[in-house]
Amino acid sequence: MISHYLQRNGISTTTISLIREHTEYTRQPRALWVPFPLGRPFGVADDPDFQRDVLHSALRLLETATEPTIEDYPHDAPDGGGDGVWSCSIQLPEPEVSDLEAALRSEVDLLTPWYEEARRRRGRTTVGISGAKPEEIDKVVSFIVAIAEGSGFKEIPASAQGPNWNHTFPMLVRFVVEDLRAFYQEAVTSQEGTKPPSQHDMHSWIFEKTALGQAIIQIGHQIAADDEQRLKMIRGLIIPEGFWKGGVSWGETPSGEERLSFIIRSRAYLAGEDA
Amino acid sequence: MVRLSDLHPEEAAGMLAAAPRFGDIDHEATPWIDPPPLAESTICLVTSAALHRRDDVPFRFGDSGYRLIPDDINPDDLVQSQVSVNFDRTHYQRDMNVVLPIDRLHELHEAGEIGGVSAMHFSVQGASPNAKTFEASAADMANRMRELGVDAAMLAPV
Repeated sequence: MISHYLQRNGISTTTISLIREHTEYTRQPRALWVPFPLGRPFGVADDPDFQRDVLHSALRLLETATEPTIEDYPHDAPDGGGDGVWSCSIQLPEPEVSDLEAALRSEVDLLTPWYEEARRRRGRTTVGISGAKPEEIDKVVSFIVAIAEGSGFKEIPASAQGPNWNHTFPMLVRFVVEDLRAFYQEAVTSQEGTKPPSQHDMHSWIFEKTALGQAIIQIGHQIAADDEQRLKMIRGLIIPEGFWKGGVSWGETPSGEERLSFIIRSRAYLAGEDA
Repeated sequence: MVRLSDLHPEEAAGMLAAAPRFGDIDHEATPWIDPPPLAESTICLVTSAALHRRDDVPFRFGDSGYRLIPDDINPDDLVQSQVSVNFDRTHYQRDMNVVLPIDRLHELHEAGEIGGVSAMHFSVQGASPNAKTFEASAADMANRMRELGVDAAMLAPV
C-alpha cells in the first residue's frame, strides 16, 4: 500500500514482492516477485553479486514498465532456501529440565565466545531490541527464566531489574525472547566453512536441542494457563507454527470473529496501552 | 523456494487472511509516474522490516509511523522491532544487505547504473493490521524524499 501512497504524493516506486498473492491483490505499480524465503528480499547473505542483480532487476522496472507490472525474478537463491542441510557443530550439553536457569546459563557460557567472534568479524550485532545491552545478556536470561517459571505478564521480574527495558508488557516478553534467540543464532552462524542454517533449521535446533527452546515452550504453557485470550498472540510471536504442540501457536480466534478484526481489537493490548 | 504452499498451513492461512488489511484500493487514484532515466535517478530504500537505530523509539505493534536510517549508518547501530517470528532472520543477522542493500546501491551508483543514493532511507513496521494507517506517514515520507532529491523509492518487505 505504501507504494500507492508514495506515488499519489509524486514519488515513483518499485517493489520487491515476497508473497505474490498480496502483490496481485494490491497491484502496486512495479513489483519484482522473488522466490526467496520470507525475511530475505535480496536473496542470500554475503553474496554481493546476487544481491546486486536482484536490486538492479527491481530498479530496471522503473525504466521498462509502462503499466502495473509483476515481473518474476528467474533465479532461486543460491542456497536454494537452505532447509535441512545444517547441523550445529557446537556441542551443547543435553538440556537439564530440572534446573532451567542452570541449563540456560551453561548454554550461554558455551556460546559466548562464538557470539563475540561473530560480532567482531561482522562489526555488528542485532541483540538489544528489548533495551538490554548485549553485555546484559545475563539479565535477559534472568527475565526469561522468571517468566517461564510463572512470574506473570505484568511486571518486570525482580531478578531482571537493571536493563533499560524499552517495551511494555506483554510485547516486552516477545522482544526479550528475540534477543536471546538472536544471541544463539549469531553465535552458531559464526562458524566459517559450514553451510549456514535456514530459519527452519534454526527453529528445529532451538526447539529440539536447547534449553532456550524448553524455556520458550514453558513460557508458551504459562500463556496457555492465563485467562487473557489476547495474550495467546504473544505465543504466536515467540513460537513459530509447527513448534507449539498444543494446537495453533497463535491461539484460536474467538468464535464468530474474523481473525483480522481480533488482531485489530487486540492491538492496543499488545502494545501495552490497554492492560 | 517459498510460496504460500511451502509455509505451515496456519502461517499460509494467516497470510491470506491478512489480505483484507490492505482495504479497498482505489487504483484510479494512483497515478503512473515515470522517473528520470535510472542512470540519473537518486534512489532511497524503504523497508518494512521495522529496522531502526538503537536509540530510536522502537516500533509499537500496529505502529503507522516511520524511522529514518542514515545512508552512512554503522550497521551495529541497526536493530529490528518487527514482531513476526515467521520469517528468516539468520541471513539478516549475518549481512544487513539481504534486507537493506545500502552497499549494493552504492556499487550500482559507482558503476553508473543509478544517478545517486539518498542520504536517508526509510523504515516502517510492516506487520500492521491495517495498511490504510500508512496513508499520512507515506505522504510525510514523500515530502522528505523530495527534500532529499529522491527520484524513486525501492520498497522491500520481509
